Amino acid sequence: MSTEAEQTVKLVSSDNVEIVTERKIAERSMLIKNMIEDLGAPGEEPIPIMNVSEAVLRKVLEWCTHHKNDPAPTQDDDADSRKKTTDIEDWDQKFMQVDQEMLFEIILAANYMDIKALLDVGCKTVANMIKGKSPEEIRKTFNIQNDFTPEEEDQIRRENEWAEDR
Amino acid sequence: MAKRGREHEGSDIEHQAKRIKPLKVERLLSLSDELILRVLSYLPVPDLLVCQRLSHKYHGLAGDGQLWKAHYYNRFVRPRASKLPGLKDVGAPTGTLHFASRASKWLQDEHLVEKDARTNWKQQYKLRHNWSRGTCVAEEIQVADEAPVPPILVQLHNGVIYMADQVDGLRAWSAKADRRMLAQTNLPSSASRQPPTSLAIDSKEDDQDITRIAIGFESGSFSIYAFQHADGLLAHQYTQPSSSNGVISSISLAWPYAVTMTATQILSLYHFQDMAQEKNSNVQLAPPRLLHSLKSHTVWPPLSTSLRTSSTNLVISIAYALPTYLSGWTVGIQEVKIFLNGELDESRMASAIDEHYRPLAFSTRPMMHHLTRPVIGSLATSTATELRHIHSKPTSLSYTHPYLLVSQLDNTLTLYLVTSTSESLSISAGSRLWGHTSSVSGAHVGGRGKAVSVSRRGDELRVWELEGGFASAAARKRLATGDLSVQIRSDSRQSHIAEENSQAGLDLVNRNTSGATLDEKEDMAELTLTRGWIGFDEENVVVLKEQSQGKQALVIYDFT
Repeated sequence: MSTEAEQTVKLVSSDNVEIVTERKIAERSMLIKNMIEDLGAPGEEPIPIMNVSEAVLRKVLEWCTHHKNDPAPTQDDDADSRKKTTDIEDWDQKFMQVDQEMLFEIILAANYMDIKALLDVGCKTVANMIKGKSPEEIRKTFNIQNDFTPEEEDQIRRENEWAEDR
Repeated sequence: MAKRGREHEGSDIEHQAKRIKPLKVERLLSLSDELILRVLSYLPVPDLLVCQRLSHKYHGLAGDGQLWKAHYYNRFVRPRASKLPGLKDVGAPTGTLHFASRASKWLQDEHLVEKDARTNWKQQYKLRHNWSRGTCVAEEIQVADEAPVPPILVQLHNGVIYMADQVDGLRAWSAKADRRMLAQTNLPSSASRQPPTSLAIDSKEDDQDITRIAIGFESGSFSIYAFQHADGLLAHQYTQPSSSNGVISSISLAWPYAVTMTATQILSLYHFQDMAQEKNSNVQLAPPRLLHSLKSHTVWPPLSTSLRTSSTNLVISIAYALPTYLSGWTVGIQEVKIFLNGELDESRMASAIDEHYRPLAFSTRPMMHHLTRPVIGSLATSTATELRHIHSKPTSLSYTHPYLLVSQLDNTLTLYLVTSTSESLSISAGSRLWGHTSSVSGAHVGGRGKAVSVSRRGDELRVWELEGGFASAAARKRLATGDLSVQIRSDSRQSHIAEENSQAGLDLVNRNTSGATLDEKEDMAELTLTRGWIGFDEENVVVLKEQSQGKQALVIYDFT
């Protein structure tokens, strides 16, 4: 006779580790929420999270735990209704202080598990790593291979000069 | 407690993750294109442009139309919503104006959205950005070695410049990147000794293949030409015989109607037989039917006629300068409405003078003697206490409903807003626009309130954003701070003369502070003057300049 908030669910990571967590926390993920609704009997059947390893899953759940009382995400996934600022609240900023591999794993997991707010925080974090940098600095940061010839690069630089005087 | 425990757990993982040696792989590539686009959507324009320089892949991604569409909307469309009266409730700061949502308001930029697939949003953004900065590339085209009298007539329409003069006939130039002459034809032989005095382009834009051109002559005759875009052919279609009414000072065309205004202030409306299905533009047209001929008593040059058609009627507007006893020159406007069958509907006038000022030439209601009683506002005896706006005679006048823009010799422009409803016609009090540092010889205003003005010496061009007039507090503030216009800074890439001009523009600023080298400059052989003709479309500003030896050149300011 437990209320919904106290219910627990069993999640299974891609490397077959079982993690038990509150249903409310897990339901920050629309993927899990929909699965629970489909399965009908939460807590008994383990839910496989196929594309997410244990380490990443725990990290994602850490975020979900902190944000479990946030207002439910709106269904309106209008791409432009997102606020186009890269401001990130302090806790999230600290949470995102991980190495790049983990950062991208989190983004991929948030995308796969359909946690829009976390996906936004992740993308904003990456955007902040790009902002204000020179192309060379960005390439170095993300280890991007420059496949332009010097001529091509020069031409694109000139084509895009117009916005420099802001 | 439970929460703290989990946080602890989390940071353990973090340490664990940090221990993993970073591999030399391109990590951003582990994200799908869709996710990279999501990241890029958080970047401001300058960073987006930097990302285009990373690699081929990012060049494509950061040039994505949807990203630029969003930037375009946020910078150029959404801010306009607050400026437009009546749209305030829509443009609430709650962010209800989303560019992709169904309820989005594109405010006259819909044409870009409609052909979405073909719109290069980055290009559009850059174009608007350059307009807002006044950044452009100037290029000159020599159009005449000697000064024709009267000067060359020029019109700019959909990227094509049309010019008419006695020596070279009618010419069409491309204002687009290649800048070449598209077509040339001689003026009709009967008019060969008569210089053209006015030029008009069909203001209706429903036909993409053919643009109709009307030329008025000193003899009072006029000709109709058709320009076929596909074959680059200018075809003569009709010439009206000379008339005793004199010089055609203004002509306008809204096919199948044409309006001429003579120097003797006779307004004539002609109706051509509509051959909409007849695509062959070489066919000579049958003589038009003269629907009306009206005589005006009040209209003074400079004036501007325009013709617009709706489903039920035809509106002829004549905007003109008007002298008054006490306030100098002001502007007036007359609207004549005509049913499509040719019957006169009504004629109304309005002027920007307030009722205390008695105009000089307001004796009778013009052109409409045969219609019902005039409704002129009470002309009370003058009790003028202060004369805040003494205007000199305008040097040019441009009217694109609802904006009426007048340029003056005293370095200013004046903007009037025309209100035309089924009940009334009125003109707001004028707002002075400061910004020019020398006398203004020409100005042109477009439908969205964008205006371009040029100084008499041709060295100072300004772009104005006048949309919505000055009804809102924000606009008045911009008016007060002189934040309405931006000076065009041309970056001349080919022409030496253009370079000199832009140099002169810089010099002018210096001179105003020092005031020393002025005379020296005046004596320069290459002194340029503008006769006041200026026009613009989405991408270019075109100015007709005259050099001291009488050479005339078009200067094209390219904002792409």
